[in-house]
Amino acid sequence: MSELLQVKNLYTRFHTEDGVVPAVNGISFNLNRGESLGIVGESGCGKSVACLSIMRLIGHPGKVEAEAMLLDGVELQSLSEKKMRSIRGNDMAFIFQEPMTSLNPVYTIGFQLQEAIRLHQGLDKKQSQDKSIEMLKLVGIPRAEKVFHEYPHSLSGGMRQRAMIAMALSCEPKILFADEPTTALDVTIQAQILELMRDLKERINTSIIFISHDLGVISEMVERVIVMYCGSIIEDTDISSLVKDPKHPYTIGLINSKPQINVDLEKLDSIPGAVPNPLNMPGGCPYHPRCNKVMDICKEKFPEKQTISDGHHVSCWLFSKQGREIKS
Amino acid sequence: MNESILQLENVKKYFPIRGGVFSRIIGQVKAVDDVSFKINKGETLGLVGESGCGKSTLGRTILKLLDPSGGRVYYKGNNIFETDKNELRLLRRELQIIFQDPFSSLNPRLNVGEIIGESLEIHGIATGKEKQERVEYMLDVCGLAPHHHRRYPHEFSGGQRQRVGIARALTLNPDFVVADEPISSLDVSIQAQIVNLMEDLQDKFGLTYLFISHDLSMVRHISDNVAVMYLGKVVEICEKKELYQNPLHPYTQALLSAVPVLDPDSKLERIILSGDVPSPADPPPGCNFNPRCRYAEKRCRQEEPELREINSGHFVSCHLVQEG
Repeated sequence: MSELLQVKNLYTRFHTEDGVVPAVNGISFNLNRGESLGIVGESGCGKSVACLSIMRLIGHPGKVEAEAMLLDGVELQSLSEKKMRSIRGNDMAFIFQEPMTSLNPVYTIGFQLQEAIRLHQGLDKKQSQDKSIEMLKLVGIPRAEKVFHEYPHSLSGGMRQRAMIAMALSCEPKILFADEPTTALDVTIQAQILELMRDLKERINTSIIFISHDLGVISEMVERVIVMYCGSIIEDTDISSLVKDPKHPYTIGLINSKPQINVDLEKLDSIPGAVPNPLNMPGGCPYHPRCNKVMDICKEKFPEKQTISDGHHVSCWLFSKQGREIKS
Repeated sequence: MNESILQLENVKKYFPIRGGVFSRIIGQVKAVDDVSFKINKGETLGLVGESGCGKSTLGRTILKLLDPSGGRVYYKGNNIFETDKNELRLLRRELQIIFQDPFSSLNPRLNVGEIIGESLEIHGIATGKEKQERVEYMLDVCGLAPHHHRRYPHEFSGGQRQRVGIARALTLNPDFVVADEPISSLDVSIQAQIVNLMEDLQDKFGLTYLFISHDLSMVRHISDNVAVMYLGKVVEICEKKELYQNPLHPYTQALLSAVPVLDPDSKLERIILSGDVPSPADPPPGCNFNPRCRYAEKRCRQEEPELREINSGHFVSCHLVQEG
């Protein structure tokens, strides 16, 4: 498999009046062609900001710096705004979390769909209309010809999210960022949308970066997964070893704090405390104030990435040589 | 143990739709339509359903926070719906509610001590030092520090605010608490903390919960019995284990199968429902679920099914489920 996206040491900081918020703290990852990658973490861990940074959609007071951000070998940071615009929507597309607020309420669904198609594919009005209706049919919207002329308010949440997906996929992007696409939806509608996305991925062969806080959803959608906490990647591996053999105490806590529908538990394992204030991050490993296996070294230095097995990495002192020595 | 504390009979809540020049009533939204069940003392009844199915409306109607359109709710033998203002105020000591959104349900201009202690003063139970002691005790029980009583809601995180909401509901020592989606606005790691707290408090104070949620796995964890609502009606109600292992209503089956499972090798069959929930202002004739049901036949489109006891303690409202 060839590499499609390469991100190296990405930092996104927001320079606010109260101080600098390090939303993304030096993350690196690769995405292969046709692969689906999940990013899991709680709110505020930087998962959405990381993706918006790659799309170069972070505005003032945010600042993005990275050693490298390559899409198909092209450095995204050095592109002109005009060039970047031709990549957004065309090569990289975004599905946002809230289908209620991410569609423009004063334009029809058709107008919003056509916009991207006409801009990027140079089709005329008639052709782009046909293509739009074809896209609406592809995502399973009934009465596509009618819906084309309707406004977002007349569609239900699930239908709006389908329209969003149609819009994102209309130019057959190389990468699709799906930022919690089903969080605002009910479970039965969520099941419909996930099924649709799996089906479309097969057909269009895009790479997907799937962001969610729900490990259950992630495990159904992706092959490989990144766990983020306070702007850093703390574990990355393929989905089945993450579920069966998680290493980082945070990942373990995250998995155990959510009951499964097919398992009975006496008591839930909860993670004590709360996510720290980003303006006042603890030194060392950001998880150490909540960690049940904390050691002295955790409070001093951020742990380096350790390789557990091929393709399974974790940033935790427990798995480093130093950490093992201290423990024994 | 199996003594019922709350009994609902044919509870209804309709909202009028007004229109036309004189704002006449031109229709009704049947948010809660003919709901009957019992909650036993010391147990938790989980109420699940998708958004708009009327579960929160039901929770509020039971406590008469919304005026009911019909039916009866018996609490310890008295019909709550027929109480006058003074009686209702006395009942409020015993019936409390925890709200969904800890960001909007706490008054930002009161400090936490005032928020929690307000009810003690209103009911004339404690003032001054006594009140202060009770507030500090409640904060301690709910996992906050006693000195937090001087702080304002904005100084707390979401999980801590929900703890304040719980402390407020429990200061009067209620018997029955409606928990209206208490965890849905919290992060995953905090949800478990709150659920554990609610379980500890239940043991400590002998509480009875009506736990309203759309999170089916959390409901399975916390409940003793579970009721499933669809479009204002209870379609299935039974003991938790029975419901999750042997769901009989086609809607319950689809709902349970739609929950993502944390197991990449899972080969569970998923039932994908087509379409959306119909508008409660214009429900389909016959069974409410028939347009989305994969088993629907002619009878389902004409006759409305009743909630029947299929197995002992397992009630289902579906024409097609056979008894025995």
